[in-house]
Amino acid sequence: MDVTVTVNGETYEREVEPRKLLIHFLRDDLDLTGSHIGCDTGNCGACSVIVDGTLLKSCMLLAVQADGSSIETVEGLGEDGELTRLQRAFNEHHALQCGYCTPGMLMSATALLRENPSPSEDEIKKALQGNICRCTGYWNIVEAVKSVADA
Amino acid sequence: MLLREVEYAKPGSVAEALQLLAANEGARALAGGQTLVNVMKARAASPDMLVDLNGLEELRGVELAGDGTLTIGAMTTYTELMRSAEAKARPILGEVCATIADVQVRNRGTIGGNVCSNDPTNHLPPLMVAVGARMTIVGADGEREVPAEEFFLGVYLTAVGPGELLTRISVPAGKKDGFAAVTLGAEGTCICNAAATVNGSVRVALGCVDAVPVLVTADSAGGVADAVRAANLMPPSDVHASSAYRTHLAAVLATRAAEEATAR
Amino acid sequence: MADAGASSIMSETTLAPAPVEVQKGWGGQSVKRKEDKRLLQGEGVFVDDVKRHGMGYLHFVRSPYAHAHITRIDVSAAEAIDGVYGTLTGEEVAALTDPFFQISSAPGANIKDYSLAVGKVRYVGEPVVAVVAETRELARDASELVEVDYEPLDALVDARRAQDLGAPVLHDDAGGNLMWTGLYSWGDLESAFAEADRVVKIPELHFHRFNSTPLECDGALVEFNRGVGQWTIHTNNQFPGFAAIMMGPAMKVGLDKLRFVTQDIGGGFGNKITSHPQLVVCCLLARKLNRPVQWTEWRTDFHLSMSHGNERWFHDTEVAVKEDGTLLGFRTKALDDAGAWLRYEPLGGVIWAQVTPGMYRWRHIELEFTQVATNKAPVSPNRGYSRMQHLWFTERVMDIVAHELGLDPVEVRKRNYIRAEDMPYETPNGCVYDSGDYAAMLDLALELVGYDSMAGRRADAEARGKRLGVGIGSTLDSGTNNFGQSRLINPELQFSGNNEVATVKLDIFGEIVVTLGTTPQGQGHETTAAQVVADILGCSPDDVHVRAGHDSYWNSHAGFSGTYASQFAVTGLSAVKGATEMLAAEIKKLAGAVFGGVPEEALELADGGVRIKDNPDAFLPFMACGAIINANNAGLPEDLDVTLNCRYVYRPPFEVPDVEKKFGNLTLTYAAQIHVAVVEVDLETGSYEIVDYAAVDDCGKRINPQIVEGQVMGATAQALGAAVHETFEYDEDGNLLTPNFYDYHVPHALDMPPLATGAIESPSPFTPLGTKGMGEGGGAGIHAICAAIQDATGQVVTDSHNPFQRVWELMQR
Repeated sequence: MDVTVTVNGETYEREVEPRKLLIHFLRDDLDLTGSHIGCDTGNCGACSVIVDGTLLKSCMLLAVQADGSSIETVEGLGEDGELTRLQRAFNEHHALQCGYCTPGMLMSATALLRENPSPSEDEIKKALQGNICRCTGYWNIVEAVKSVADA
Repeated sequence: MLLREVEYAKPGSVAEALQLLAANEGARALAGGQTLVNVMKARAASPDMLVDLNGLEELRGVELAGDGTLTIGAMTTYTELMRSAEAKARPILGEVCATIADVQVRNRGTIGGNVCSNDPTNHLPPLMVAVGARMTIVGADGEREVPAEEFFLGVYLTAVGPGELLTRISVPAGKKDGFAAVTLGAEGTCICNAAATVNGSVRVALGCVDAVPVLVTADSAGGVADAVRAANLMPPSDVHASSAYRTHLAAVLATRAAEEATAR
Repeated sequence: MADAGASSIMSETTLAPAPVEVQKGWGGQSVKRKEDKRLLQGEGVFVDDVKRHGMGYLHFVRSPYAHAHITRIDVSAAEAIDGVYGTLTGEEVAALTDPFFQISSAPGANIKDYSLAVGKVRYVGEPVVAVVAETRELARDASELVEVDYEPLDALVDARRAQDLGAPVLHDDAGGNLMWTGLYSWGDLESAFAEADRVVKIPELHFHRFNSTPLECDGALVEFNRGVGQWTIHTNNQFPGFAAIMMGPAMKVGLDKLRFVTQDIGGGFGNKITSHPQLVVCCLLARKLNRPVQWTEWRTDFHLSMSHGNERWFHDTEVAVKEDGTLLGFRTKALDDAGAWLRYEPLGGVIWAQVTPGMYRWRHIELEFTQVATNKAPVSPNRGYSRMQHLWFTERVMDIVAHELGLDPVEVRKRNYIRAEDMPYETPNGCVYDSGDYAAMLDLALELVGYDSMAGRRADAEARGKRLGVGIGSTLDSGTNNFGQSRLINPELQFSGNNEVATVKLDIFGEIVVTLGTTPQGQGHETTAAQVVADILGCSPDDVHVRAGHDSYWNSHAGFSGTYASQFAVTGLSAVKGATEMLAAEIKKLAGAVFGGVPEEALELADGGVRIKDNPDAFLPFMACGAIINANNAGLPEDLDVTLNCRYVYRPPFEVPDVEKKFGNLTLTYAAQIHVAVVEVDLETGSYEIVDYAAVDDCGKRINPQIVEGQVMGATAQALGAAVHETFEYDEDGNLLTPNFYDYHVPHALDMPPLATGAIESPSPFTPLGTKGMGEGGGAGIHAICAAIQDATGQVVTDSHNPFQRVWELMQR
């Protein structure tokens, strides 16, 4: 089937099998390898992207379901290779170690802050509840998001 | 992790969706996909065709009637219900939805999907039974309404038959509700849960203890534990809980849900 | 009282008896990480991101049985499909390769381990056939057409039954399920029991099976260069040195034919050490099919087959104690469940001995270690490898003795802790704890958690129908192995010592370029290495370019290179220090010659160059140095021995241990962590919440305190997950009941308690920088949770895994 998507402002037209998951389409067909795969049951959130303004796990969406959609991935967060305030906060607060969960965390945090620019610590944890991290224990990630929220 | 080959269709109307489901024996409705896609990844089920319901706007939305009845479109997402001003007429609905999984799942997963998948550990089947919801099913023969108590038939099995769709759920007016659960991690999968409604007497629907929610009634919250014991539950044992532990939890959680409902 | 969130307190004590070189400048600062920019932008290169034209995707057909004979394999239907490039079976593997080298002595030595199942399957999920196809989906589909017939056998799932008469036998070549056994005995246990006021007996303790489930699973993309017979293995294996010595002989090729390339790795925690069987399969197929072969391990594959942590029983423990709570010694029988294959095992049978007495002063110890095979996934190092299990045992003994004697667990620990003034402390088996002040750490941890106010908090919890419990978990993180300890497992092995390599050079334009031998998975090696280099060369870490990842072609590695076992701060950074000091000396030599014969002592490195101390205007920037040596070297003195390209091999000071007495120093450094957990147990359900938590760490001199604290936090979170929810549990047929993240619940953000961290620095007298290896954490969270539950319920806790049901059952007693 034909699929047309706009990802980070750029439009792509591809032919895909209906069974292809959006995460595989992004990574394998569009070479956007910033979104990751960490599980096979929709639990880990490493594949989180924003589709038409809504935060979703791209491993539970078929590529064909995204036809006509506008998708944001981690590669589209900054401009001209510069880090955003949120990304700089992650660096400041040591909110990443191996970096594998980080794109998903950034997308979830981005979605949260758009909707709620001053979230409480509990609201931040709830917003990140769908993103598993094995390295940091989450404390520094929550601090990083809080630091951007308090501004 | 990789699905089997499948055909895909995105109907523009409920009628078209029903036609597709009726015409293709191996077709299944795709709602939020937060359960079905994972089932297909594991190749535990591999439908021949997916009929994507996400284009059916007529199945979304929450309406509040003058008598306080809520009508929830089957394709309403958890997030949409949580944000719906109308749904606040029965607060327990949004409160329970807010504890399901995570924001990504809630943004896409649907009320109808949760109810139709009828996983014994799901939150909404016992909740719908407790509040006395009524499910509207549409098929080639037209529309019929099934009370929640008769809607859930077995593990992953409901009254929605082949070629049919759940279109909406009606929830009567009320506010005295409660929900209690012990979960695998904060806001995780339920190990045992109970939903209660007080309307004169107490109705408690137990989840996780049988293929379908088990309904018990009592005059007051204080009698609920006895009612649960009288139900002679034989819950399954699995890696998370033994049958004996689930039986014990059922009585405790049922009481807590009933006390919460009473106190509202 | 800890904040809701994480807060940090630092208290600095210098306790080393001998002077150590303490870093000034960049060392000790929480420099922000160089790695982060690419990772934050999604521009990291993880193995699944690597693509090659024409690559085939590999899918493994895996055993559905825990134990069965393979009676027939037919790949013809799969191979007939258009787009399927080829397959590989165990029969081919047995013809093309030799079995993997076994670390064990007999009987484990006799098992025959190939990279695909040969003749038999021994655990659910064991790879049987490999299928390679044009797309991922096609490889997966085609694998369903591979026909494998099995003759099921009874499965052995309980290690305690492994040596029963009539138990199913996994490896006929070994003559039974016993893989390795050894008796360790030091001191004079009989006299200890004679002197004791009491013998506390503990019939059974159980440390459960789980692992660290790094978010990225294993994977590889393997290319074969036919012309030179060279494989390039892009992978995320975290110990390429070990993989190479396993793969080379098996594949009958020289080790230089195996080039390992890693860049970013999504977590390792020890669980990415034993992927060599799968890598061999990829290599064989890349050669057979003449195309690159790509393998992605999915989450379920990982849970079924990769790197479970050692499950260990401690039976018939007897502890000699005095009435005042002094512990004199213990004997126990440790039974270790290795799963179906010995990949890194039975090293677990000696590695626990790095911390034989735990943190305590008892001198009379006897431990009989037995390792058996069972029809479960093969175990391999998991964060805290083998020391964690033993340290949990010592902590349980402390708390159970305290319980039996009616003593305060805090007092029992303080009475028995090795003291700061005893350091360096030689343990009963000759290991040397370099430094540390455990009592001070415990005090700090108790203060952080508000221990003095516990009585009030207990009452408050009681009023809400909850029972509060406080528990201590003290643990060691022994780092920088002496691989000579492997001879205690098998005296014929020719391994000893340890090493790590680094190179530092000035390029033609004066760029400082560093290569490491390690394979970081989030530990910030690029950053800390740059800090060390910057301090020696007198520049900023921003001026130091550290290459990302690992590549055998850099020739910057040695036999033990990799990132595992809590050692980078010692081995890696010492190699960096050595190479940089070599470079610094060469720079001065060159400048001395260029300045017309100025001696080295008169020169210093600063501001990105070298200058005469008394005449700073005489300054040669690094760019000039690099240019002269690389491109403009006419006229230099003939005997000027300067290349500005320095390679250094760090070799820690070790002797080969005494194999007969099982005596000798097994690890160079001993970091410590002491944690205190506060839980509230719901009396009606047994569910519990961790309401407060403190973690105090001492890893000697910290080059980057923020990076250290990050790993302390991560280790805490993993330990809490293992304590409460995470378990690899099997049914009686050998089916894994937690094969994915749905059933195997790891902590999410809402599960984390408020956390207060503290740190003490007791520099190691044995390392060039005063650093100690750290990162594994030794499972302190598990020890603390067990203790807290015991305190809350008043019942002795004997299992490391305490889900709600178990706590409820404890309260029914």
